[in-house]
Amino acid sequence: MPTTETISTALVEGPEELTLNTTAMRAVQRERRRARRSTPTSNSVGGLILKWTILCLVAVVMLTPLYILVISAFKPQADIIENPLGFSPGSFTFDYLWASITSEKFNVIQAYGITLLFVLLVNVFSIGLAAPAAYVIARGQSKWHLALLLVFVSGLFIPGQVTLIPVVFVLRMLGLIGTIPGFVLFETAGTLPVTIFLFVAYLRTVPRDIDEAAALDGAGKIRAFWLCIFPIMKPAVATVIVLHSIGVWNDFVNPQVILGPSSGIYTVTTGVYAAIGQFSTDYTTVFPTLLLTIAPAIIFFLVMQRYIIGGLAAGATKG
Amino acid sequence: MADTSRTMIVWKRRLPGLIMTMPAVIVFTAMFLVPTVLGFVLSLTNWNGFSLNLTFIGFENYLRAFENPRSVDAAIFTTVFAVVTTVVCNLVGLALAVLIAGPGRANTVVRAVFFYPYIISALIIGFLWSAMLAPQGVFNSILANLGLPSIPFLTDPAFAQTSVIVTGIWAHYGFSMILYIAGLKSIPAEYYEAATVDGAGPWARFKNITVPLLAPIVTVNIVLGLVTALRVYDVVLALTAGGPAGSTETVVFQILKNSFDNGKLGYGAAQGVILLIVTAVLGIGVTLARRNAEKKVAD
Repeated sequence: MPTTETISTALVEGPEELTLNTTAMRAVQRERRRARRSTPTSNSVGGLILKWTILCLVAVVMLTPLYILVISAFKPQADIIENPLGFSPGSFTFDYLWASITSEKFNVIQAYGITLLFVLLVNVFSIGLAAPAAYVIARGQSKWHLALLLVFVSGLFIPGQVTLIPVVFVLRMLGLIGTIPGFVLFETAGTLPVTIFLFVAYLRTVPRDIDEAAALDGAGKIRAFWLCIFPIMKPAVATVIVLHSIGVWNDFVNPQVILGPSSGIYTVTTGVYAAIGQFSTDYTTVFPTLLLTIAPAIIFFLVMQRYIIGGLAAGATKG
Repeated sequence: MADTSRTMIVWKRRLPGLIMTMPAVIVFTAMFLVPTVLGFVLSLTNWNGFSLNLTFIGFENYLRAFENPRSVDAAIFTTVFAVVTTVVCNLVGLALAVLIAGPGRANTVVRAVFFYPYIISALIIGFLWSAMLAPQGVFNSILANLGLPSIPFLTDPAFAQTSVIVTGIWAHYGFSMILYIAGLKSIPAEYYEAATVDGAGPWARFKNITVPLLAPIVTVNIVLGLVTALRVYDVVLALTAGGPAGSTETVVFQILKNSFDNGKLGYGAAQGVILLIVTAVLGIGVTLARRNAEKKVAD
């Protein structure tokens, strides 16, 4: 029976390695592919036409907003309103996109930099804190280790917005409200449950022989972990990086509340909110700004698609 | 003397483990556990967000949350949003997953097309759809060009609520679909082959093999869908800003508005505690209820 666990264990090893670890399994997989290709839905012509009609209709619904966004970023306001779906070469212009890039209201280049910095810091801290802790938890056998795991995992069920208000109180007491360290600390803490959960699950599949081999080398436990165990955790680390990068890049509420407009530190999302919230009917500002903010996410998605989809599926089915 | 040296040895053995776990424990405690507990404490006060002096006012904030029509309406809309988006995302996601679970380049491309909104910030999705649906937006321009009357997508309460729900579905069904595809890939093809040999048609195979074996994925999808949808905020803020006349305000919208615009953080904290309890009860409740469905498969 495929349980959630078996699926996700397979998924952690990468989307392409689903259940095909040995040659025998690979043969089964090939057989399975052949079997699926010959299911009745796909071998009757009528079924094929119906299937692709449905898929194309849904694809149109999915892509129309994106298409309008892209063409409208290069058109003047009158053209956007009078001819929303069409595109005339005569009115094509880079002016509005350039105006958005150089806008004084929203410095998009700086926002990219700041958001990337946050993505990097949260990933480094989250993995740096979680990996050794997860290792101790995964290898430990006392009730304390189990209790520690339960405490961390309980965080999976607590919505971030619920802790946000009290966190403002805590950060105010620590003097970290409106600062980058304060934001990164909170954001990192929010990622720890998922990270530790996925790392512990992964480390339990890593044989203990490796620990012993590392110990024989005479390396201390901490050194042995970083030098011998951590490199093995690559697939789990990749999953976690995918999850956190998307999460931090897209996060709006946490930077908005913790950094606040008064700090002058804008991420991509809080910057867009500040820039567009005020004049949302001036589409020559709205569309180029949105294009600039969506473009990095779309490019990242196109390049990393396989890892993103695999990572998200793994993260979700594990949790 | 012997005792202290024994404890010394024990501690020396434990020290690396402590060093490896403590940083994570400290950050998690300070930024997550303490705030969660503090949330309960603050919900009993009239904290305004600035002073560090607290006045306890008992359960007044909770009473207000249950009596205030604004917060009750927000709770109702959030519930409708969560249930409708979860049901539709699962049905659409499963249907499309069955169609494109197989290998092949075309399927991979279609999968990416259906899924891509999930990796875009919900705030940006909200702004994008707001540009489509606004009174002078793209859709109404198209209608005007065709000589048709405009549709109040965002300016009529019922239309606005529908717009928020549809946008939520548009952005999220792809995620349900991806989980279903992962689940479908894990079902051994032999089952289908055996069923075909026994003369089962496509529908019978779907009903008797696919649906029961996907039971665990259905659970994950429902729990994740509900829990995520109950926290909906960003997309509403960008799409309707809670309007018209507060008709699309959600629970989190209320929490953040009361806390940070109105300076009633104690009240916001109380609403947060209610949301936390509802989320936990729903999450655990659905998981337990679904356990029966999953058990049937195992038997």
